[in-house]
Amino acid sequence: MAHAETGQLETSTGIDNRKLFMWLFLASECLFFGSLIAAYLLYRGQHDVPCLGGDLSACVFPTDRTINGVEYEGIFDIPFTSVSAFVLLMSSVSMVLALAAIQRGNIRAMRIWLFTTALLGALFVGGQAFEFTEFYREGLDLDTNLFGSTFFVLTGFHGAHVTVGVLVLLSMLVWSGRGKVQQKDSLNIELVGLYWHFVDVVWIVIFTLIYLIQP
Amino acid sequence: MMQIHQKMHLSRSLRTIWRHRRRVIMGFALLAMLALFAFGCDVDTPQNTFDPKGPVADKEKNVFLWAMWPALVIMIAVLAATVIIMLRFRRRSEDYIPKQTHGNTTLELAWTLAPALLLLGLGIPMVAVLWDIGRDPSDDAFVVNVEGQRFLWRFEYPELIDENGNPAQTFTEVTVPAGREVALHITSIDVIHSFWVPKLAGKLDAVPGRTNTMWLKADEPGSFAGQCAEFCGLDHANMSLIMHALGEEDFDAWANELTAGDAAAAIAPDGDTGG
Amino acid sequence: MATVAQPAGNPLAQALRDVRQLAEDKYSIWSWIATVDHKRIGVMYGVTAFIFFLLGGAEALLLRLQLSSPNATVLDPDQFNRLFTMHGTTMVFLVVMPLSAAFFNLLVPLMIGARDVAFPRLNSFSFWAFLGAGIFLNASFFIRGNIFNGDLGAPDGGWFGYSPLTSNEFSPGNGIDFWILGLLMLGVASLAGGFNFVVTILNMRAPGMTMLRMPLFVWMTLVTSLLIVFAMPVITVALFELLFDRLYNANFFNTEMGGSPLLWQHMFWLFGHPEVYILILPAMGIVSEILPTFSKKPLFGYPFVVFSGVAIGFMSWGVWVHHMYTTGLGTIATSAFGISTLLIGVPTGVKIFNWLGTMWGGSISLKAPLMFSAGFITMFTIGGLSGILHSMVPSDFQQQDTYFVVAHFHYVLFGGAIFALFAGAYYWFSKFTGKMLHDGLGQLHFWIMFIGFNLTFFPMHMSGLLGMPRRVYTYQEGLGFDIWNLLSTVGGFLIAASMLVFIFNVIYSLRKSEKADRDPWDGRTLEWSLPSPVPHYNFKEIPVVESRDAFWNEKYKEDEAGVVIPVVAGASDDEEEHDGHGIHMPSPSFFPLIAAAGLPVLATGLIYDPALVAVGAATTMIGVFGWAIEPATEGE
Repeated sequence: MAHAETGQLETSTGIDNRKLFMWLFLASECLFFGSLIAAYLLYRGQHDVPCLGGDLSACVFPTDRTINGVEYEGIFDIPFTSVSAFVLLMSSVSMVLALAAIQRGNIRAMRIWLFTTALLGALFVGGQAFEFTEFYREGLDLDTNLFGSTFFVLTGFHGAHVTVGVLVLLSMLVWSGRGKVQQKDSLNIELVGLYWHFVDVVWIVIFTLIYLIQP
Repeated sequence: MMQIHQKMHLSRSLRTIWRHRRRVIMGFALLAMLALFAFGCDVDTPQNTFDPKGPVADKEKNVFLWAMWPALVIMIAVLAATVIIMLRFRRRSEDYIPKQTHGNTTLELAWTLAPALLLLGLGIPMVAVLWDIGRDPSDDAFVVNVEGQRFLWRFEYPELIDENGNPAQTFTEVTVPAGREVALHITSIDVIHSFWVPKLAGKLDAVPGRTNTMWLKADEPGSFAGQCAEFCGLDHANMSLIMHALGEEDFDAWANELTAGDAAAAIAPDGDTGG
Repeated sequence: MATVAQPAGNPLAQALRDVRQLAEDKYSIWSWIATVDHKRIGVMYGVTAFIFFLLGGAEALLLRLQLSSPNATVLDPDQFNRLFTMHGTTMVFLVVMPLSAAFFNLLVPLMIGARDVAFPRLNSFSFWAFLGAGIFLNASFFIRGNIFNGDLGAPDGGWFGYSPLTSNEFSPGNGIDFWILGLLMLGVASLAGGFNFVVTILNMRAPGMTMLRMPLFVWMTLVTSLLIVFAMPVITVALFELLFDRLYNANFFNTEMGGSPLLWQHMFWLFGHPEVYILILPAMGIVSEILPTFSKKPLFGYPFVVFSGVAIGFMSWGVWVHHMYTTGLGTIATSAFGISTLLIGVPTGVKIFNWLGTMWGGSISLKAPLMFSAGFITMFTIGGLSGILHSMVPSDFQQQDTYFVVAHFHYVLFGGAIFALFAGAYYWFSKFTGKMLHDGLGQLHFWIMFIGFNLTFFPMHMSGLLGMPRRVYTYQEGLGFDIWNLLSTVGGFLIAASMLVFIFNVIYSLRKSEKADRDPWDGRTLEWSLPSPVPHYNFKEIPVVESRDAFWNEKYKEDEAGVVIPVVAGASDDEEEHDGHGIHMPSPSFFPLIAAAGLPVLATGLIYDPALVAVGAATTMIGVFGWAIEPATEGE
C-alpha cells in the first residue's frame, strides 16, 4: 500500500475542522430556535383563553386588540425594540470589521472592533432586560398566559445566546491583550463572527415574526 | 436380520437430522411460533380484537389480515432464505474465495419497486377504510359523552334527560342500543386517557382540552369489556369499563328507569359526583 | 511519548503540565480519566453501557416477575411505574445509544485511516457527560426514602413522559425533574458526539478515500450523527418547556391556560422517530461489515445500501404522527402519515435483500459474529413486518398502546440492535484487546439468547391482539393474558442466563494467554491491517486508499479469468513494532471531565439548591476555559 505524508491540516473537504463544526452547530441551533418559534406561533392565536386570575382582564397581550367589544392594550413598544434590533445589527457590522482587521494583521483595530461588538451586544442585552422588567411590571410573567410562557422562553434563550457571545468576545479581547491572538489565528475570530451573525439573524426572525407581523 | 435393518435406518435418519440440526431447529421454532399465533386467534376472551362484534372492529380486523398474510409470507421467505443460504453456502475450505459479485442493478430496481407497489397496494384501500371508520357519526346516532378521569370513566347521555332537566350519567358501565350507531364524544378532565372497547372498535384518546369523536355499533346485544389504554398513573391498570348493548325494548326500559328521578346525581363508585 | 521541554513560564501553565504528566503513564487510572484516545473512550463507553444494560435488564426481570400472573403482588403500582419508566429510559439512552457510540469511537478513525477523531477532547467530554447523566438519572431511585423498604424515587411518567401526566399537578415530587435534566444532559453528550463524527468523517478520510469508498459502517455513522445533530434540539426544547412548566409554572402544556398536551407529543415524536433510526442504523452498519467478511464477498449493492441509509435518514422526519394515530388528529393527517410510514419500509427492505445477496454465493463462516448477524436479519425482519402492520391505521387503532407494540419494538431494538451489537462485540473484540472471544461460548450465548428472546417477546404479539394494554402493573384473570405473560417471564430469565455466558466468556478470554492474529477473519477494511491491540497512534503512516474494501484489495487481486488470488506478501514493514516516535498525538486532558462534571451539579442545584447551580456552572466554565486555553498537543 502506498503511504502518504501526514498532512495534519489538510482536510478531505478543504474546510477547516473547526469551521465545519461551527456550521453544523449553527444548523443544529436552527432546529433549536425553530422549535421555540414554532411553539410561540402555534399558541399565538389563543388569546381568548383564561389567564392567571381567571378572566381576560388579568391577561397581558403583545399588541392592541378588541375581544368581545372590549379593548385591550398591548405591551409591545415597537420603536424601542426596533432601536435595540438596530443596535444588534450594527454589532454584526463591527464584527465584520474586526475580522477584516485581523485578516490584515491589524491587531489593534481588531481589538477596537471586538470591543465595539461586545459593547453593542451588551447594550442589546441591557435593552432586553429593561424591556422584560417593563413587561413584568405590567403584569406579564412566565405563568400569566401562553404569551408570557412562549415569549419569555424564546427571547430568554436568545438573550442567553447573546450573553454567551459577549463573554466569548470579552475573552478574546483579554486573550489578544496578552498577544495571544495573531493574524494566523484569524480563524478563531471568524468562528466567533459566524456565531455572532447567526444570533443576529435569529433576532431578525424573532423580531419580524413576533413583534412586527401580527395575525 | 429385520431388527438390524431397522436399527440402521433409524441411526441413519438420526444422523441426517443431526447434520441438518439447525434447519430442523428453525423449522420447529417457526412452527411453534405459528401455532402459538393461530392459537391466540381463536380464543373467545373478553377483549380479543380478533372477535369483533361490530362493524368498526370488524373492518379493523380485516385491515389487519390484509397486511398480515403478505407479512407472514415475507417473514417465512426471509427466514427460510437466511437459513438455506447459511447452510448451502457454508464455508467448506478456508482457501476458497468466491466470485466477488458487487451487485445487480436490475435486482435492486426490482426489490425496490415491488415492495413499494405492494405497500401502496395495501395503503390505498387502507385509506378508504380509514375514511369510513373515521367519518363523523351519522345524525341519528345515539350520543354518549365520555369523560375520562383518574381512574374511572364517566358517561353522560345528552339524549336522556331526567326529571330535573339534567342529562343522565353513569360510571364505569355504559349502556347503548344494540344494532344502532353510537356517537362517542370523548374527553378527559385531567391527564390523557384512551377509551377502548376492543370487540366493538379501536381506541380513541381522551385528551384534556379537546373532544375527540368516534362512531361505533354493536351488531347484537351483549356486554363488552374495555380498558383505559393510555398510561395515566397509579391505577391505570384498573381503569376498566363495560359497554352494554341492549335490544330496543330492553334499552327503552333501561333509559326510562335511568331518567326517572334524579339520575344526574348518580354517585360515582368512590363517592364523588361527576364533573 | 516524550514531553518537549518548556520554558519556565507562568505557574498555572506549569501546574497544567504537572497534571498532564500524571496522565502520561498509560497504565494508570489517571491516563484513563484524562484520555482523549478514541479507542479508550470507546472501551469506556462500551463497558459503562453494558453495565447499564445489566441494570435495565434487572429492571425488566422485576417487571416480568410482577406480570407473570394476574393480580400478582411482587411490585406495587408505584414501584412498577417507576421501574418501567427507568427500564425504557435506560435501554434507549444509557444502553443502545452509548453502545453505538462505543463502536463509532472504536472503529470510525481506523476505518477511514485517521489517527483520532476531529475533536478528541470533545470526545472525552461526551463520555463524561454521558456517565454523569447516567449516574444522575439513577440517583433518582434514592430520593424518596429507603429503597430497601421499597420506596423508590425514580421518575414514573414513562420513558416518553406524556403531558399533562408529567406536570407538577399529576407528578408531584422530583422524579420527573431528574428525568428531564438527565435527558437534557444526555442530549448534550450525544450532540457533542454527533458533531464530532460528522466532522471526522467528512474531513479526516485518508487520501484516496472518497465517500463511496468508505466502509458502510462509516456511512451509517454519518447518517446517524446527522440525525442526532438535527433531532436532539427538538427534544431539548420540549424538555426545557416541560421543565419550565414544572419549576416556574409556565403554561406550555397546561390545558387550563390553553396549552396543548399534543404539542408535547408532536415535539417528542418529531425527535422520537429519527431517534429510533439513530438506534438501528449503527447496528445495520455493523452487520453490513460482518456479512461481507464472513461470506468472503463484497457487500452486495453497496451504493444502494448507502442510498437506502440516506433515504431512511430523510424519510424518518416524515412519519412521526404514526405514534399519534389515536390522538384524534383527523383522517387527513393519519392517512398521509399512514402512507409515508408504509413507504419507509422500502429502503429497509432494500437493505435486507442486499444482505441476503451478500451471503448468496459466498463462503459463509458460521462463527459467532455471523450467527448474531443472522439473528439480526431474521429478528429485525419480524420486527419490521409488525411495524408494517402498525402502519395500517385502522388496525393500529386496535394495536396502539397494547403489547403488540411492545413486541414490535423489542423485535427491532433487541432482536435488531442488541443482536447486531453483540455480533460486533464478537467480531472486533480481538482488535482492541488482543484476545479472541471463545467461539463455542459465543454459540452457546447466541442460542440461549435467541431462544430466550423469542420466548419473551413473541407471545406479546398474542397478548396485544387479545387486548392487553401497555404500561399496566397487573391484569385480571379471565382475559386470556395469563399464559403469554408466563412464557414471557420464563424467556426473560433465559436471556439473563445468556448474559452470564457472555460475561464469563469475556473474563475467560481476557485471561487467556494466547494472543490473537491481527486479521483473524480475513477482513476487508483498514482496521484489520493494524496490530491487535491497536497502537495508540493507529497507523504508522496514513495509508493511501485506492478502492472500496481497501485492505481486502491489498491482499487479493483478480487475475484475467476473474478468479481471486492472494497477492504475494512483500516484505511488510508493518511487522515491526513502532514506538510512535515522530507522530504527534493529542495530549491527554482533564478539562473535558471538569466541564462535564459541573453539569450534574448544576442539575441537582436546579432541583434542590440555587447555590449548587452556581457551583456547577462555575465548574463547567472553568473546564471550558481551561480546555480553550490549553494547547491540544504538548509542544505547541
